[in-house]
Amino acid sequence: MIAISNITKSYGTGGNKNQVLKGISLQIADRDFIVILGASGSGKSTFLNVISGLERPDSGSVVYGTSDITKLTDEKLTRFRRDNIGFIFQQYYLLPNMTVEKNVRMGADLTGNREYREMINAVGLEDKTGKYPGELSGGEQQRVSVARALAKKPKVLFLDEPTGALDERTGRQVLDYICRLHKEYSFTIVMVTHNQNIAEMANTVVKMNSGNIAEVYTNERRKTAYEIGW
Amino acid sequence: MIIGMKDTAKLVGISVIAGCAVFVCTLFLNYNIDIAAIKGEITTEAGMAMYQAQVSTGKVTASVSGGCLVLTSVVMLLFYVKNYIDTHSKELGILKALGYSGLKIAKHFWVFGLSVFVGCIFGYVSAFFYLPSFYDLQNAEQLFPEIKAQLHPLLAFFLIGVPAIGFSILAVIYACLRLRHPVLDLLKEKRGYKIKVNRGVTKDRPFLKDLAGSTLRERKTLVFFVAFSAFCFSAMVQMSMSMEKLSSKTMAVMIIVIGLILAFMTLFLSLSSVVKGNTKTIAMMRVFGYKYSDCSRAVLGGYRPFSYVGFVIGTLYQYVLLKIMVGIVFADIDNMPEYSFDFKKCAVTFVLFILTYEIVMYSYAQRIKRLPLKSVMLE
Repeated sequence: MIAISNITKSYGTGGNKNQVLKGISLQIADRDFIVILGASGSGKSTFLNVISGLERPDSGSVVYGTSDITKLTDEKLTRFRRDNIGFIFQQYYLLPNMTVEKNVRMGADLTGNREYREMINAVGLEDKTGKYPGELSGGEQQRVSVARALAKKPKVLFLDEPTGALDERTGRQVLDYICRLHKEYSFTIVMVTHNQNIAEMANTVVKMNSGNIAEVYTNERRKTAYEIGW
Repeated sequence: MIIGMKDTAKLVGISVIAGCAVFVCTLFLNYNIDIAAIKGEITTEAGMAMYQAQVSTGKVTASVSGGCLVLTSVVMLLFYVKNYIDTHSKELGILKALGYSGLKIAKHFWVFGLSVFVGCIFGYVSAFFYLPSFYDLQNAEQLFPEIKAQLHPLLAFFLIGVPAIGFSILAVIYACLRLRHPVLDLLKEKRGYKIKVNRGVTKDRPFLKDLAGSTLRERKTLVFFVAFSAFCFSAMVQMSMSMEKLSSKTMAVMIIVIGLILAFMTLFLSLSSVVKGNTKTIAMMRVFGYKYSDCSRAVLGGYRPFSYVGFVIGTLYQYVLLKIMVGIVFADIDNMPEYSFDFKKCAVTFVLFILTYEIVMYSYAQRIKRLPLKSVMLE
């Protein structure tokens, strides 16, 4: 369980101060698939950064089980991310000078996972292990980043607009892989997107507007990546 | 304008090096020209011996320091041009896509020569103000008639105009060569990674070990720059310390100060480039949960052995160069001390080098740790 309470976050000072998060509280159940939905500038990415420990809030707490990550030192926060968190970003952030296998190994080595090739196979890249990111399509690169994130066996996977740079067909494919792996490995998913259709794949949808949570609802039936509109 | 003044301001290191080189060369060459004009008025034997010794010293100092510093400036200039193109390849790619030719874009790189011009002017003017004191120092024993410092326009042109024009042309030519990449490669920021053909067997090495190796293979220019800066540090500091035996005390102090400034400057610039060039990789690893010490060891640690290699080569280079120069130039001069390798100075320089290297790296480590991960990722 992740218990988020009264998170505030501002950027800038004085007259230029912009409050991006205005006292957000939320509870995320273990193994939930939650989508944070909002327009550009609604604060959803900042919210994701704060609850994943990439940024510190101005006030409030983010408690994983019994551990409040806002109180952790940088060193402990790094260790916390290593043991618990996986990330998938819109821009992939793969290491361009490392092969697919080595990029995935970046995640796997952190937790001593020797079976990381399973994850490469799971995202359908078994025949591309020796390729470099520059030789792959956008969709393939994002699948590498999925395998890399999951190779460290995270308890919570954070995704920031994972299909933002992909076309429809590839986007659906990547989402399908993520959903299948979610079922198989039972981790919590927190995904940020501006695409309302993707929200239909989640258990819980959190709608954000101007730094506040506008609405939280659960989907009666989760759609698959190939059932949703685009 | 493609390259702004802000970009050229980053070339302050080249300005300082050019300034120091011109400062030293102006002092000795101006003196040599002025003393040659009064050669006929020197009547004593001691005066003639001193004249020959000073002319020879001037030649050695001007050619050793000038030559070394020109080489350093050239390497740094090329490095900066390459670095600028690598870090701005998207913008340059857009210009090429719009129809600007490589040469048309490259022409704007002439402003990089401004850094040399500014440094040369500064070095020349400050040397010119120092000339009277320098002349008094050189003639402290009153062996020559009074020597007045004269302005030599041709020397000024060769020490200011020629380097500035030369470096501008060099920057344009090099930029033109670097911009010959296809537009798409520039737009996609592809830096020409060499892809291994044999992919059949992948060694089962830990990620961090592989990262260390591939970081060095990918950033060969940075590896060279680090080794080169260590080379300069070693050669400049040891050479300037050796000047104590070969010239007057004041001159030795001046040369040591210049040598130290340049040595620190070059090392600092190369290390800051290393850190900046690898900050994003470190940030990403930290996002995933790697400890800073692991990131630093894998990404930055690999440069250290190359710096030691550079140091050793610099030590050998300065020894051989001074041995040859002293042997040739001072061959006919009596009572000149024989130049021999000084282990104590070498050890002092090595300790100084390690301290500087580690302090710079430590201070950068503190800065990287304080950087918000989000800001690095969004760059």
